[in-house]
Amino acid sequence: MTVNDQLGVPEDAMRRLAEMRPGQATSLFTSDLSVNEFLLVREAGFRPLGLVLGSSIYHVGLQMGRWSKNQELGTLSQAMYHARELAMSRMEAEADQLGADGIVGVRLEIEFKEFGNDLAEFIAVGTAVKADQDHPVTPDGYSWRNNRGKPFTSDLSGQDFWTLLQAGYGPLDMVMGSCVYHIAHQRFSQTLGNVGQNVEIPQYTEALYDARELAMSRMQAEAEALDAEGIVGVQLLSLAHRWGGHTTEFFAIGTAVRPLRPDHVIAAPQLVLPLTD
Amino acid sequence: MSGFGFPGTGAGTVTSGQGGFAGYAPYVDALYRGFGTALSRLGAEAQAMHADGVVGVRIVETSMGEGNREFMAMGTAVRAASPTRPARLFVTQASGPDVAKLLQAGWVPVNIAIGISVAVRHDDYATQMQARPWSSSNVEVAGYTELVQQVRADARRRFDAAASADGADVATVSAMTLSIGAIEPGEGHTDHVAECRVVGNSVARFHQGGHAISTTLTVLPLRADLRADERRRR
Repeated sequence: MTVNDQLGVPEDAMRRLAEMRPGQATSLFTSDLSVNEFLLVREAGFRPLGLVLGSSIYHVGLQMGRWSKNQELGTLSQAMYHARELAMSRMEAEADQLGADGIVGVRLEIEFKEFGNDLAEFIAVGTAVKADQDHPVTPDGYSWRNNRGKPFTSDLSGQDFWTLLQAGYGPLDMVMGSCVYHIAHQRFSQTLGNVGQNVEIPQYTEALYDARELAMSRMQAEAEALDAEGIVGVQLLSLAHRWGGHTTEFFAIGTAVRPLRPDHVIAAPQLVLPLTD
Repeated sequence: MSGFGFPGTGAGTVTSGQGGFAGYAPYVDALYRGFGTALSRLGAEAQAMHADGVVGVRIVETSMGEGNREFMAMGTAVRAASPTRPARLFVTQASGPDVAKLLQAGWVPVNIAIGISVAVRHDDYATQMQARPWSSSNVEVAGYTELVQQVRADARRRFDAAASADGADVATVSAMTLSIGAIEPGEGHTDHVAECRVVGNSVARFHQGGHAISTTLTVLPLRADLRADERRRR
């Protein structure tokens, strides 16, 4: 590349534009990465192949919990798992068709629809990538696919993905755990007993502990099945969806990782003091 | 996008991409004309200033009531300090800093690409059963899934085609929206219509060699990382 140092415009860029003719054949790929993320993913040694997407519109029905009992609503937990799995596996199928090594910047979202009762769209969107051959980031004989033979998936941003690889770790798959939990209602006498006092309500505390623990342990089990060393970027969410105040989904999601090499050294960052707010 | 084996895949969904009057094609054509006219007037104004490109373009669509809509495109016209003039104006939503980063890494913006599609699907018996309200069933509604898959696929196809026609190497999506609603074509019966829009920017590569040019320097800002705090709170 020749850079016109005085003026800062790469002359090649202008030449490329000048030579461009509409309709000439190219190998176009699409992606929903931002400019920063796109450049960092390229720099990390990966070539984007295309935007990949999987979707499922799901009817999430009702399951009644006992009014005064803390309990998991297993049918709903299963439904939330199944619908997410449908969206993720359809996205992975698209990536497979492109011959991808992995999918970066995955967003897994749920949107309850206005047009029908209890209808939700589960959607997974990401950018399929392939490792540059002979790029130093890939150790000799290393396969980016995970032990299920599938392209890796990661919900890390382009920036986090770059940093992870620099530090010598590779993503394996997004792992998740879900638990839909019904929290018991208090009996009237209990409520009355607590009026005017600051006290812990043990049955609520227990319920939240129990539900979070179930979600986290399920996520952990998924990571163990992948022979992961650990999980990064974990989010632990409580999603009320549309089930009313006492039924909540506890959802844990993160990216399982494994080491690419024995040393994990990242260049010492420069300290900067931004002169902006 | 085909071959995923949804039950009922096939003739049930009609997309505007099928041409003629299929699936609201005239409405989609009108949207394309609206955006296209706004962008071509933006280009004409920039060319009158002898610009090489327009950066930081914003596209705004405003409803004026009674079915009228205003389509507006605005950006900053720029001229390269270079003896080479591009054959045609480049237009991008990318901001000034983003354009600079792209140029330094060996990429140059080309054009804005738009893909729009509307699809309609008849609510058949299976769909009505899967989606019936107040039931305790937890099932995928295959008909609606097919509708959104096909409308997105058609919009993405048109988006890709627009970027390809410009001769670009990359198209980055800046917004992908989907809306879905019911219509009542007959007494007591509803069908569903979905509209998908994909908007983004096409980019061409000019750097040679296998690997990307690496210029990134890791820095640690000496102030509170506000974004990380926000992430944690989310």
